[in-house]
Amino acid sequence: MRALPSGEEREEYLGFRADKEMFAVSLALVREILKPPPITEVPRARRDILGIVSVRGQITTVIDLRRRLNLRANDPTVSSRVLLVQGNDEVLGLLVDEVTQVYRLSPLEIEPATSVLGANVGSHVAGIGRPRMRGLRGEVQNASDEVLILLDLAALLS
Amino acid sequence: MNAGDAKDEFFGEAQELIDALARDLLALETSARGGGEDPELINDIFRSVHTLKGLSGLFGLSRLGTLTHELENRLDDMRMGRVSVTSSVLDVLFRAVELLGRMLASARRGEADDDSELPSLLASLKSGAGAGAEKVDDELAPFDLDPDIVRVLTEHEEHRLRTNVRNGTPLYRLRARFPIDRIDKALDELKQLAKPLGEIIAYLPTGDLPADGTLFELDILYASASPLEQLRNRLEGQDVTIHRIARKNAGSHTSLPAAPEVPQSPALPPPPRAPTDRDSIPLALDKPFGDPPTNERTALRESKHAGGIKTPVPPKPEDEASRAVAAGRMAHTVRVDIRRLDHLMNVLGELAIVRGSLARLTERLRQHATFRDLTSELHRLHRAFDRNLAEMQSGILEVRMVPLGQVFERLARAVRQIARQNEKEIRLVVTGAETEVDKLIVEELSDPLLHIVRNSIDHGIEPQGNRAALGKPIEGTIALNAFQAGNHVIIEIEDDGAGVDHDRVLATALKRGLLTEEQAREISPRDAINYLFLPGFSTRDAVTDLSGRGVGLDVVKTNIARLGGVVDVQSERGIGTKFTITLPITLAILRALLLGVAGRTYALPLSSVAEATVLDLRAVRTVEGREVMSLRGETLPLCRLERLFSHERPAKGSHRSYVVVVALGGRRVGIVVDELFGQQDIVIKALGPSLSSVRGFAGATDLGEQRVGLVLDAAALLDEVLSAGERRGLEAFSVGR
Repeated sequence: MRALPSGEEREEYLGFRADKEMFAVSLALVREILKPPPITEVPRARRDILGIVSVRGQITTVIDLRRRLNLRANDPTVSSRVLLVQGNDEVLGLLVDEVTQVYRLSPLEIEPATSVLGANVGSHVAGIGRPRMRGLRGEVQNASDEVLILLDLAALLS
Repeated sequence: MNAGDAKDEFFGEAQELIDALARDLLALETSARGGGEDPELINDIFRSVHTLKGLSGLFGLSRLGTLTHELENRLDDMRMGRVSVTSSVLDVLFRAVELLGRMLASARRGEADDDSELPSLLASLKSGAGAGAEKVDDELAPFDLDPDIVRVLTEHEEHRLRTNVRNGTPLYRLRARFPIDRIDKALDELKQLAKPLGEIIAYLPTGDLPADGTLFELDILYASASPLEQLRNRLEGQDVTIHRIARKNAGSHTSLPAAPEVPQSPALPPPPRAPTDRDSIPLALDKPFGDPPTNERTALRESKHAGGIKTPVPPKPEDEASRAVAAGRMAHTVRVDIRRLDHLMNVLGELAIVRGSLARLTERLRQHATFRDLTSELHRLHRAFDRNLAEMQSGILEVRMVPLGQVFERLARAVRQIARQNEKEIRLVVTGAETEVDKLIVEELSDPLLHIVRNSIDHGIEPQGNRAALGKPIEGTIALNAFQAGNHVIIEIEDDGAGVDHDRVLATALKRGLLTEEQAREISPRDAINYLFLPGFSTRDAVTDLSGRGVGLDVVKTNIARLGGVVDVQSERGIGTKFTITLPITLAILRALLLGVAGRTYALPLSSVAEATVLDLRAVRTVEGREVMSLRGETLPLCRLERLFSHERPAKGSHRSYVVVVALGGRRVGIVVDELFGQQDIVIKALGPSLSSVRGFAGATDLGEQRVGLVLDAAALLDEVLSAGERRGLEAFSVGR
């Protein structure tokens, strides 16, 4: 990418969908994107824990983002993916409905969650992303309609 | 290797050194009690401390360095005979080693260590200096020793020489020749032969090598009270000439301690080769000789014949040869991080899955007549693969195994210390220290064992006065027994103390609402005592006779359970208490029974399975809403796994079910499942931290083809099903009493 407008240090976010909402997490925290492998359910586990999978011999716990966020539960579909993310003290799988794209957001494109959603927003929301359309040279054109909920993984997974 | 690895390695090595130190100190104490001090042992201790000092310096642990430095000084004094091995000296050394252990532990955790004890300990170490035996300058005089020889002895070697002379042990010179290419082995062999009969004081190269350079000649200064004949028989077959170092006219040296006059054998064996005139003989033989005294300290004041044969003085007279041997031996062992073995084990697990796929493929090929030749070849290959894989697996498992002795030694130290604190005399009897267990298990065993032993000393074994009144020996006994039983290792910790007061245990359990009055009336003493393992029995006011310091037996039980083991306790009032710990031999790989429940597959470690049969519905009864069945006249509580795990099943068909009888530590439960898939070797892997609160599973394992199966935790299931205090999931199981 060239002609980066000065003063804008942009960070990469991975965007994905769960139910009807769009989310994004810092790309640096995503290790891998998998098609959902067979998941073994773990009886008596927390409701949002879907089960365990083996990723190259490593037993990894998979969390259903829908259940975690109290969205409508749904079985995995063809577009479902498991994101391997760095949790607080282990690598965890996060089941999402669809991975959309990588966003490069500058601080200007991120609004504090409270200013948009009010004071009662959950601690797992790090902010609201409003990506702007850019021209070929990276110049800002106009704000898009997209709204990304930027997730704070540490808070989400604790 | 990065810095972290190096540091890990340092901590591992330092811990091993400290363990070795403690072990040697204990041995030294025992030998000192027996009247003699073993110079080898003191040397070993000195060397360990020296190495530890070096390591501490390397890793910038200055306080550890200070302590090891002072410790080294004192041990050097002991080596040189400047300080004798008394119990007060030993106490200081024990304290120092304990402190070293604690300092190392805090350094490992990256904490600042508690230094309150250091100054006083350093002071005690320093005050021990110099209070030693005084030297008798003259004692070597009556021996026909070449002063040059005495001069090249290290201070320690000289001390050992003097000690032997003082004890009146006859001295010998062993002239040994070794082929240069196998000197390490040959010397080692000779050492092994010579040591049981006496003490090797010094190795002195004669510097008189045959021209062709294939032989190496060494004089060994040796002290032995054994008859010459025995020495000769012992060393038969070695290229060694034995010479008694004669005592010169003893008459003028009446001040010497009276040495038993061993009659000198006139019949020395002829040297293997005829000595020529040019032979330089460093130690006087039958003919006395010596150089004029040159060294005040070691001077031999009498020499009848001047102008003896000069001995070439080797530039570095310390026993290089034996050091070379030690170096050679060290090269044969490797220190390996256990995680690397875990990794190998994982790879092996994957290979086992490949093996399974290979077998299936072969089976499919078999269906096609056209591939018959290929199929049988593939089959042969598969068999060979199978065999080698099994061998590799047992090989890796073997590498992981270490003797329980490691942890027992640590316990012996603790027993000594706790007994002293309690002013009790405790005899620790250990059997089966050679029993081998997976390294990881040994590591985790320390704390639980220590807790049990501490309990025994604190509260089991009565104070000396009480014991005397009861007619028991004043010295309490704690027996540690370990042995292997099939795929398990059993460790018993038995004391001859006061035993557990069952009534009191029950009273407390009642008070805490852990059982009802009715249950209390019916419960057997054996079951009652198990309440000790429930959380809440750890506080002092609960059961004063058997309580700890904030950590309860429930922790012991949890720790043992984490290792896949169970702990059981038996006790008799006035007689004693016995804890029995049953552990799997290894955690790395185990044979499991694969079972199917409501479409799910679970693995159950075979070591906990007693038998499996078809569920005969006619044998099932319901008692108080819980299912039991009678199996060969015994009542077996049943547990339906799908109910325990709340599995929804797709409309239960009329197919038959199976009962898997799980038995551990004398308790049994029948687990009802839909299907038995057979046995499989599994590599068990831990569940992530986010699942740590889920009970009933020991881990998970790869089943092949990307599938993962949960491994049932047999001990936890038994507990859950049988535990009387457990309210959760009651409808799923039954208590068969």
